[in-house]
Amino acid sequence: MYSTLFTQQQWDALYEAADYNSLITQLKHSEYGPYLDKAKEKDLTPRRAAYQIRERLTDAYTSIIRMAPESARPLLTHRYRNFEVDNLKAVLRGIAAGVSWDRVRFILFPLGSETVLPAQEMMESGNVAAAVEMLRATPYYETLSYAMTRYSAEKNIFPLEVALDLNYWRELWKDVNHLSGEDRKQWLRIVGGLIDMNNLMWAIRYRVYHNLSEEEVVNYTLPFGYKVGDKDIRAIAAGSDIPQVVKRIYPDLPDVESLLQEPRKGLPALEMLLKRRIMQQCQAAFLGNPFHIGLPLAFLQLLEFEIQDLTVLIEAKSAIDLDEDFRAYLVMGQMAKA
Amino acid sequence: MFYPQEMTEIELIVPTKDLLSVTKVLSRRGVFYQADSYYSSPEAKTTSPNVWQERTAAYAALERRILNIMQSLGVDEGNPPSHEFETMVEIETIRPAVDEIEHEVKNISDRLAAENKKIEQMQNLLTQLEPLAGIELEINAIRNPHYLYSVLGTMPVSNIDRLQTSLSRIPFVFTPLRTDHSTAVVWLAGLKSHDEILERAARSAYLNPINLPESYEGTPAEIIRRLNQNIEDARRSIEALKVDMSQLRTRHDKKLQSMLWEVRSSRMVTDAIVRYGRLKYTYLVVGWVVSSALADLEQRIREASKETIIETHPVHRGGQNRNVPIALRHSKLLRPFQMLVTTYGRPSYGELDPTILMAVMFPLLYGAMFGDVGQGLVLALLGWLIATKRILGGMASLGGVIMACGLSATIFGFLYGSIFGFEHVIPALWIIPVENILTILGIAIGAGVILLSLGFILGIINAWKARDWGRLLFDHYGIAGLVFYWSLIGLVASVVLRDQMPVPQPVIVALAAISGLAVMFSEFFIRLVEGHRPVIEGSLGVYIIQAFFELFETFISFLSNSLSYVRVGAFAVAHGGLSSAIFLLAELASPDRGVGYWIVILIGNIFIIGFEGLIVGIQTMRLSYYEFFGKFFRGGGMRYEPLTIRPTAEE
Repeated sequence: MYSTLFTQQQWDALYEAADYNSLITQLKHSEYGPYLDKAKEKDLTPRRAAYQIRERLTDAYTSIIRMAPESARPLLTHRYRNFEVDNLKAVLRGIAAGVSWDRVRFILFPLGSETVLPAQEMMESGNVAAAVEMLRATPYYETLSYAMTRYSAEKNIFPLEVALDLNYWRELWKDVNHLSGEDRKQWLRIVGGLIDMNNLMWAIRYRVYHNLSEEEVVNYTLPFGYKVGDKDIRAIAAGSDIPQVVKRIYPDLPDVESLLQEPRKGLPALEMLLKRRIMQQCQAAFLGNPFHIGLPLAFLQLLEFEIQDLTVLIEAKSAIDLDEDFRAYLVMGQMAKA
Repeated sequence: MFYPQEMTEIELIVPTKDLLSVTKVLSRRGVFYQADSYYSSPEAKTTSPNVWQERTAAYAALERRILNIMQSLGVDEGNPPSHEFETMVEIETIRPAVDEIEHEVKNISDRLAAENKKIEQMQNLLTQLEPLAGIELEINAIRNPHYLYSVLGTMPVSNIDRLQTSLSRIPFVFTPLRTDHSTAVVWLAGLKSHDEILERAARSAYLNPINLPESYEGTPAEIIRRLNQNIEDARRSIEALKVDMSQLRTRHDKKLQSMLWEVRSSRMVTDAIVRYGRLKYTYLVVGWVVSSALADLEQRIREASKETIIETHPVHRGGQNRNVPIALRHSKLLRPFQMLVTTYGRPSYGELDPTILMAVMFPLLYGAMFGDVGQGLVLALLGWLIATKRILGGMASLGGVIMACGLSATIFGFLYGSIFGFEHVIPALWIIPVENILTILGIAIGAGVILLSLGFILGIINAWKARDWGRLLFDHYGIAGLVFYWSLIGLVASVVLRDQMPVPQPVIVALAAISGLAVMFSEFFIRLVEGHRPVIEGSLGVYIIQAFFELFETFISFLSNSLSYVRVGAFAVAHGGLSSAIFLLAELASPDRGVGYWIVILIGNIFIIGFEGLIVGIQTMRLSYYEFFGKFFRGGGMRYEPLTIRPTAEE
């Protein structure tokens, strides 16, 4: 399975693509070809192309879940639900912004029939409260019903999004901790890495962008992770020096101080650094003992990063003025020749 | 009987003035299957087709509204009226009545919904207040204390720890009053000077204050009493509203049913007209009629419109007739088996309808595998109860099949001498399977060879009827396939029988070789006969390899198909084996054959009827569908659905 991810030569060739059309032509000759061919040529806008290539991840998840041992399936399915949570947030954002279904449908992750969300009906209800009511029989309803009181008062979907995220990661972490042996070690490392990255980014953003109080930052973050602990989050919430905290957690990260001197600019770069660390952890899962369920998770995570990179590439190549800075936003293909 | 009913294609050219009367004849008789004819002459200047589309949409909308009202009132659709509607109902004559009833129903439904919602809200408040029932303190003192910040509310259990962590820098009191698996009723209090911190912390932990209306005052216990009282009042209101609804139902049910059928039949007529083709002054109607009903229909159309031109084309069974709808009409006894056939596929026009064969073969195979007088009779009784809808009404169509299988099992039970698993209580009229295992297995394979050969022959007949000469001669299930199959059986027989074989072995070998080559190169020969060029696609080498593997696959499938029927004998033996196991258990439970012995026998028999009965049913289905139908039955026919407001008699 690993071999189906792009090699460095393939990444180089994709960078060399003169424009969006030649990039798509190249992708059509790759593993993504069958997915891009599903859309008519004239409909293959950058947004649609990004949607089509995500279908490969859907296929990968569904077939790996099907092939996985019985005991691993619930966990992999739980991880797959992350895309459903993202879809739900996108739908709620779409409703709040009053945009049409046609504008939202190709932003969503293509889960096909594997989803419990009646996304189109929710969008067409045009009303967040009515949309949430449609989720009564789903695992999201209870979480959202607590947050709806705040939505009704504030008319802001932020509390809904935070509630969904916190609930998703809490439940996943709980499930991962029920694993044992090598399986647990590998999952803690990868899922913990993702939680670390999210938690750190949330804490810093809530403090820097949203000016939330210490109590709010603590309540909107998680008290666990692989490297990032509760004391780190509380330190950020309480106003400690952010570069110092980050340096304490990741002593090997280069230039953290200069990176975060101006947090608004440095945060996306820090996020990319953390993503690359997760990528390395995923690659490390392929070394040594292969008999653990961290292997499929690592592959799926790498594939997700690859698709994220391709999406960045598609957007960059479709821009009228190609900005070479896009390379900074690549996880898998960042080593390609400049 | 062995083929779908003969059909005639009918084309009518109807003058505009007779449009409605002819359409009513077509829809009234229940024999006309309408085909779409969207042709529209550019000169067609009379009523625009959109008018009919709009009328159809208006009738459909009105029908939906009536159905919604009926659903709210719990009124069923009833049966279509025995009389025919003479004219199409005018929408405006019915709409006011629908509006009025709808208004009345909506009024009560809305009030019912409001009362239900009120109860839900009050019950929610009760859940939150019940933990405070023992506190002898005004609720306002908790909600709005003078010197404290205080909040009473509900929150997710998973946020409790985080909320307490977030408040670590200030003094506070936090008390969970009631906790279930996901929600907690809590009280949070702190200094008034810390109200902003507490407020933000509570909000971000999704602590939602109890939303008790200001009108509720007093101690929690007093409020709980009032809430219970109000819930009771709301329930009484709901009961009263239900009585009103019931009165509405009694007053309007007949009227609603009558309006529904009037509107539905009018919608059906306009719907049919929309699908007519349009000429300048006339309409073109195309469709199919069961040939036996043609004369009567023609006469009725002529009575309705003398100027209508009628053209008919009887359809022969030969050749490809994919567009002809398939009308299967069997007696009530055969209809359950027709259902089994149509589940696999609907025969196409000109193809043999295997319902009768199924009606014989299915129970026969089932009975042979499940031969037991007692269990068979129980199964037959069960089938009868299902067929007559006394139990499991939704499976009534399967009842007939179960009954036939049960009766067949009873007959085989006599042949095997088995009753409720006892093998020596009644004499075996033919054979006891467990004592003659090899014989019964051999007979099963022999029966399989006969059934498979029958499948081949039926396939040949179908190909001949369809004038599909290539398939007839060279297909794996055509003449070449049949000769190949028989010559393979002949070869096996010549080895077993040696000198007693009536046909010399070299002749059989030659037949096997020739027919084998024909099967191997069947694609080549079929393309040659059908005139397709090139006769071989791709390179010759690849084709020969492919052809060889096809021959190999055919050989394997003939072998596996024949051996598949071993299961008929194997299940007959297994039935005896399973019964012996039950007797063994019964002996263990009660060696002196007391009550325990008979209880185990009873439970064992129930288990055999349920478990083995189901497995044998699945095996019979497999043998019928895969081994037998696969040889000759292609299906793919279109269902015959004539215009009528009554459900079709078929199926």
